[in-house]
Amino acid sequence: MKLMATNTGSYPRIGSRPEFQVLRQAIAQRDKGTKTDADVKAAEDAMTRAAIEEQTGSGLDMVTDGQIRWYDPISHVAGKLENITINGLMRYFDTNSYFRQPVVKGPIRWKQPVLRPDYEKAVALSSRPVKPVLTGAITLARHSIVEHPGYESDFGSLVRDYNMAIAQEVKELAAAGAAVIQIDEPVVLKNAGDLPLLNETLKVLSQVKGKARLALYVYFGDPGPVLSALLDSPADIIGLDFTYNTKLIDQVAAVRPKKPLGLGLLDGRNTKLENADQVAKSLERLLKGISAEECYLNPSSGLEYLPRDRALQKLKHLVAIKNRVA
Amino acid sequence: MSRKKLKDLGFDLPLLPTTTVGSFPKPPELMRARAEFAKGKITEAELRAEEEKATIFWVEKQEEIGVDVLVDGEMYRGDMVAYFAEKMPGFVLGDLVRSYGNRYYHKPIIQSEVKWPGPMTVGWWKFAQSRTRRPMKGMLTGPYTIMDWSFNEHYVDRRAACLAIAEEIRKEVEALIEAGAKIIQVDEPATSVRPEELPLVVEAMEIVTEGLPAYFITHICYGAFQKIYPQMLDIPVDNFDLELSNNELSMLDLMKKNRFSKDISFGAVDVHTHVVEDIDTVKKRIVQGLEVLDPEQVWVDPDCGLKTRTVEESIEKMRVVVTAVKQLRTRYVKSTSQVQ
Ligand SMILES: [Zn+2]
Repeated sequence: MKLMATNTGSYPRIGSRPEFQVLRQAIAQRDKGTKTDADVKAAEDAMTRAAIEEQTGSGLDMVTDGQIRWYDPISHVAGKLENITINGLMRYFDTNSYFRQPVVKGPIRWKQPVLRPDYEKAVALSSRPVKPVLTGAITLARHSIVEHPGYESDFGSLVRDYNMAIAQEVKELAAAGAAVIQIDEPVVLKNAGDLPLLNETLKVLSQVKGKARLALYVYFGDPGPVLSALLDSPADIIGLDFTYNTKLIDQVAAVRPKKPLGLGLLDGRNTKLENADQVAKSLERLLKGISAEECYLNPSSGLEYLPRDRALQKLKHLVAIKNRVA
Repeated sequence: MSRKKLKDLGFDLPLLPTTTVGSFPKPPELMRARAEFAKGKITEAELRAEEEKATIFWVEKQEEIGVDVLVDGEMYRGDMVAYFAEKMPGFVLGDLVRSYGNRYYHKPIIQSEVKWPGPMTVGWWKFAQSRTRRPMKGMLTGPYTIMDWSFNEHYVDRRAACLAIAEEIRKEVEALIEAGAKIIQVDEPATSVRPEELPLVVEAMEIVTEGLPAYFITHICYGAFQKIYPQMLDIPVDNFDLELSNNELSMLDLMKKNRFSKDISFGAVDVHTHVVEDIDTVKKRIVQGLEVLDPEQVWVDPDCGLKTRTVEESIEKMRVVVTAVKQLRTRYVKSTSQVQ
């Protein structure tokens, strides 16, 4: 069993040191008219580089681009699709952070690659493999305002059309060489009724993933009640949030999963550093029960919910625990 | 119905009392003063003078508009959780985290046992109340929201943190009552985000309010009421301050199925839009509310705090609430006296 340390998605785009303030300043100045979009892009590149350096520096085996360019997990991709406009702010799950709501005004259509250029830039900056991360079609659909009659009474077709766009993104990312492509569907933990749709969307993505492997990540909730459905879904890697249910470790160990798991044993949303002995013990118990050839240790969610200094500490802590067990 | 409790506390409020949720925008002079204070260019006393000036402005403005139950407008607060976290031992302010887009804030971290440092809001309550004969609400953030919006490094879990904070917030409530406050609002905007934790919200609020002689209000926002209604009525307060306009009054359907058994501060104008609703729209919303609610249990206010609006928009939003209520009052006073 090969255990690898990875990030789950986002990384802070600000920090207390002046060099970590450049993106915030560039956006504020662009909005005032004293800087340009090109200045903002340069600041995004600088903060992406910093995010990747901190991830590789902490010893992660696989990194993300930190989703530095994302305004939020929903509007970044949805806002670039045809017939979607972006509305006001709504709270994102229980995070006390906000996303802009997409308004679907007509049939959803993919126009051009959104994430591939960012992925390629990140690869050029990173000494370790980069994992692109996308929000899945069901989570996008559940956070959208529907004003297109064709979708109003047919949630399934809204999801399927969103998923056609996600499939295009997956295809592009696979063509660009991504070995693992992560699809985030936190919303299925809130609506178990969406699980059949989840199977359907992942099946479509599997058909276009090429040589890449698909990782399904769920978080912001307890996956316990839907565990077997998640493990049986047509994704190659299943990422689980262990912070909502202390008994999940037993439950997962008991079902002896055959697929590689993403083990969200460290709380990506609390600054507290978990007791390393306890996490290592849980990890060993889990790994004994998993028959896959590899597994991933990662934070329970993206790290943008932590202050930068604490996000970095969390990653170093994670790698230290991985090294004890691996 | 808590009319009797209000009477016993010495209040004789009109039918459909008007109020606001709590925050008002800070006037430009105060914004400048806060920025200069942050840079060390002015003293704390100079900042305080601007905060007092702004508080007086809003107290007078509410009186002039004809609001029945006033607030101090929170001119002295940055953030509703950080304000308390900065004052209470046990918290430190962490580095920046993102709220949305390009907005960041310092999220508090609970690092040791949380303690009440002595009155945190009483001075401002007294200052504001001394400027008016109308009742002034005491304004606090509730323990569940303080817990949910902080990192917890000290307590064993969320529940332990929440209950410990509740014990300390109760001391602030007692201090407000001691100073003469009789209407106290304990805001719990985080309530609806984890429906499974509603019992914890109830338990914590019990610690905060149990046995204390005041009329308690709690403000809950960000929707998702369908997941916590009617169980949320167990939260031991007299009045729930709810946003109803923002979601096109969908809450009323829930109330048709399960009667709303407490008083309500009925959010009748949307605070998320610059547009000021016209009187007929606001009247229509209230009338729709009164189809499922008894006029005796209804207060009227904006959906949420007005601090994200401009000074002018806030004044107009309040004015339209008060005008709409005044036009409706005579109608419902008659019909309720007929019922009696
Ligand atoms: Zn609110």
